[in-house]
This record gives sequence, C-alpha cells and structure tokens, in this order.
Amino acid sequence: MNVVGTRTLLSKEVRRFLKVPGQTVLSPLISTTLYFVVFGYTLGARQTDLEGVPYIRFIVPGLVFLGIANNAFLNSSSSLFITKIQGTLVDLLVAPLGPMELLIAFIVGAMVRGLLVGLLTWGVALFFTGMPSLHWGATIFFLLTASYVFSMLGLLAGLWAEKFEQINFFPTFFMLPLTFLGGVFYSVDKLPEPFRTLSLFNPVVHMVEGLRYGMLGLAHGQVAFGAALLLVLTVITTAVAYALLKSGYKLKV
Amino acid sequence: MPETPVLDIAHLTKRFPKLVALEDVSLQIPQGEIFALLGPNGAGKTTLIGAVCGLVKKTSGTVRIFGHDLETDPLPPRYFVGLVPQEVNFDPFFTVRQVLAFQAGFFGKKADPARIEELLAALDLTSKGDTITRTLSGGMKRRLLIAKALVHRPKLVFLDEPTAGVDVELRRDLWSYVRKLKAEGTTVVLTTHYLEEAEELADRIGIIDKGRLLLVEEKSALMARLGERRLEVRFGQTQTALPAKLQEQGMVLSADQMGASFIERHGTAKAPALLGQLYAANMEIAEVSLKAAKLEDVLLRVLQNGGGAEVSA
Repeated sequence: MNVVGTRTLLSKEVRRFLKVPGQTVLSPLISTTLYFVVFGYTLGARQTDLEGVPYIRFIVPGLVFLGIANNAFLNSSSSLFITKIQGTLVDLLVAPLGPMELLIAFIVGAMVRGLLVGLLTWGVALFFTGMPSLHWGATIFFLLTASYVFSMLGLLAGLWAEKFEQINFFPTFFMLPLTFLGGVFYSVDKLPEPFRTLSLFNPVVHMVEGLRYGMLGLAHGQVAFGAALLLVLTVITTAVAYALLKSGYKLKV
Repeated sequence: MPETPVLDIAHLTKRFPKLVALEDVSLQIPQGEIFALLGPNGAGKTTLIGAVCGLVKKTSGTVRIFGHDLETDPLPPRYFVGLVPQEVNFDPFFTVRQVLAFQAGFFGKKADPARIEELLAALDLTSKGDTITRTLSGGMKRRLLIAKALVHRPKLVFLDEPTAGVDVELRRDLWSYVRKLKAEGTTVVLTTHYLEEAEELADRIGIIDKGRLLLVEEKSALMARLGERRLEVRFGQTQTALPAKLQEQGMVLSADQMGASFIERHGTAKAPALLGQLYAANMEIAEVSLKAAKLEDVLLRVLQNGGGAEVSA
C-alpha cells in the first residue's frame, strides 16, 4: 500500500475543491438554503405538521441529504473526468498507485466535500429550526454511507464518461428524478397508492428516511431496511469500482 | 550486458481492433544505457512506452522492469520509473511547485523542497515556481513535464519526444542533464524526431516501424555499418576522365567535369584513401568537402528497406 501516495492524492483532491470554494461549497450551500427558505418558510407556512414536526423542520434531513449526494457525486465524477480530459491521468497511471489507492483518495476526497456542504446546510437549518432530538449513531451512519455511495457512483460516472455531455447524464437523468421523488420535500407515507409502494423501490427514499430518523427522531419501519440497503449499495459500488479500476476500464487503451 | 536488465520486453504485442500497434517486440536495456527508439509517426514508439509505463494494456508478451513482471507485480517497479509523456498536460488548479510536490508524493516521496528547487533551476523554471501551471507557455509546460518525470529520482526514465517545441537552449540544457543522469547510473529511453538528439545522446539505437522493431544496434556500429560519408572534390581545371583505379572504387566524375564525388559505405574504400590517390595522380584539387554520416540517412535507409537490414538485439 502506497500510504504517502494515497495521502498526497487525497490532499490534492481536497485542496482542488477548496481552491474554488465559491463553486464547490458556497454555491451548493446557497441553493440548498434557498430550497429551505422557499419550501420551508413560504410553502411550509401553509402546511400542517408532518408526522408531528413542523414542515420547515421536516425537510431539513432531505436537504442535508441533497447537499451530500449532489456534491459527493459531482466531486468524484468531475475530478476523474477532468483528469482524463486534461491528460493528467498519465501522472496517476505511471505512479505506483493501484486501484485501492485511487479508490481511497477519490472517494474520501468526494466524501469530504459532500459532508462539508451537507453539514453546513444542517448548520444553517439549525439556526432557523433549533436543535432537534437526535439519534447520533443513526445520523452518523446515514451521513457517512450516503456520502460514500454517491462518491462511488460519481467515480463510476467519471470512469464511464468520455464527453462532457455524458458526465451530465447521471445528475440530470438519474439523480435529479430520484432525489426529487425521494421524499425530500414530502412524506412518502402521505402518497396515494400505487405511488407509495413504487417510491419504496427508490433507494433515495430509504436514505432520506434514515436521516430523518437520525436527525429528527421520526421512527419508520424501513430504517433498518434503509441501513441494510445502504450497506449493500456500499459493497456493490465498491466492488464494481475496484474491478473497473483494476482492469483499467476507459483509463488505459 | 548485466544478468538482469533494467527493462526486459519479450514478444510484446498490442492489437487494436483495426491495427496492430506492436508486433512481437523483444528488447533488453541494461542499466545506465541511453537507448533511442526511432521511427516515423504511428510506428509504435509511444504504444511501446505506454505498455511499459502502465498506460496501455498489452495483448500478449511480457514486460519486466528491474526483474518484476508487470503482469503479476505491477506496482513495485513503478517507484523507480519516470515518464515524460508526448502530450503536454497541466493541472489548472496548482502552481509549479505544488504540482512537483504532488508528483513526488504519488511516488511515495515525502516533501523534499531541495529536490524541487534543484529541478526548477536545472530546467530554468525557478522564476515560475509559484505560477499556476495553466498560465505557462507551451515550452514551459514541457519543461514542467520533464521536472515531474524526474522529481522522485527514477532509475529508469522514458522521454517521449521531450524536446518537441522547446527552444534550442533548453534542448542543449536537457542533453547535459540526460548525460548527468547517465553518469549517476540512470537508464534513459528516448524517442525523438530530432535525430541530432539521438545521435548526440544514444548508446544504442532501435528503429521501429508499423509495430515491428526492425533493428537494435550500438550507435557507433550502426553508423559504421549503414552510415554514408560523401566526399566531394572540385578540380582546378576540367578533367577528361578519372584514373581507372578510382573509377573502379566508385568515384564518379561530375557532369561539368570540374569535380568528382564518392560515397563511402561499409565495405567500400575509405574516402581519405581515395583523396590520397587523387593527389598522387597529380590532379589539381581546388576544394574538398567530406559530409559526415547522418543518423537521418541511416533511419531512412532502414525504413525504406522495410526491415531488410539485419536486426541484432
């Protein structure tokens, strides 16, 4: 294991997004905060409590999840894709950095950005809503696993994409529908059938519900299922990404 | 040649769907050698380097670096390999010094500012050390590529057209630096379109075309075997004919009968000997020129011959 090499690439990944904080941290923080203000204050004022908590507080876990998922995904996908497009991939391939080293550096770097944006969003939300009751263990578990899975998905997208159009394919056609239909702004339990049952096939629903349980204490029957699902996704995405990196898929000719 | 060559390539083949980029290439390079790999565009030079440096997936064959088979043991030898790629790349976010520190780190080296400053000075980049790399000129970016390839003190360096697009001064500086590397025991594999560069630096020459390694030979032996020297003589007055002995040895009278020429090849008479015979024949000689053998001519001859020239590896 090339520990110094891994640490160096991780440090480069983190410093890369911190070089442009307006784009990578501030911009997503502002958009998520705007969601919070618009949905929470303007629409929320006309909403009754959901599952016993005010609407403005109800949407906080979903918005934190949005910040984490989008930014973790964007960081690993764009970083790897830019490395390929600009030719600096050569610097990594020629170095003694194996699939494990690349995986750790790209994934942890993306998780740091996702968690940074997510936690800052949470901080802003707490300013408006106050500190709710917490299940710390569940909160940390869902924060970490959600950021990990979306970092992995971003890495896979970055590996696959060869054109700018392709790198935008996943956020637009995959992540946006799944997150907006994933119960971020509403309770899935309130949906009429068959949409409620259909929603349960959306993994984002279980991630948001898991965070809602952790951050607001709202108990759902599917929390354990959500945790198990995230663990399964963690294992599958890791195995696929490792195998692709090891084979040199779209990295080596 | 030492028992374990620094680089040992055996029957290396790389096939793309519509192209055979490398075909059964075998090559051994001992420690401390400067090896020049020459050939036209698309001959397979960069593919060969890529297969050794982990950028290209081989179809078959084996590559060993410092005795490690890259198939089963790909990472350990990479700590000691450096590559100057043909394509210029740059990182848009970081300065020259930061990029060099990162590159050293990728190779497991902890921060060594002294090494970075040494390379910046050697490549005339010191004043650009804190410049963001995207703002460097093309030549500066290429210098940075060279520094990146050397920052971790590799023992085997691949220079894939390292001086394309750089000024004459840097080219000379780089040649000096390559000689310094050789003196320190570093092995260098060089591809270049500046044949003067290969002529100046290389111990051995390899010529590759259409994926096949046509020839590998000591530079001096190759030049002696396939090089041509051209002797041109101008006479003080018109000559009706050359002495028969000179004609038999291949000297030709020019059309204006005011000069003669002779091409010295391996196995022919030597140009100075023929010149001596001209003087001995009391011919009035006004001007003499002897054009040295050029690697460029050797390369063209081998390529035109399509590998018909003998190959020794």
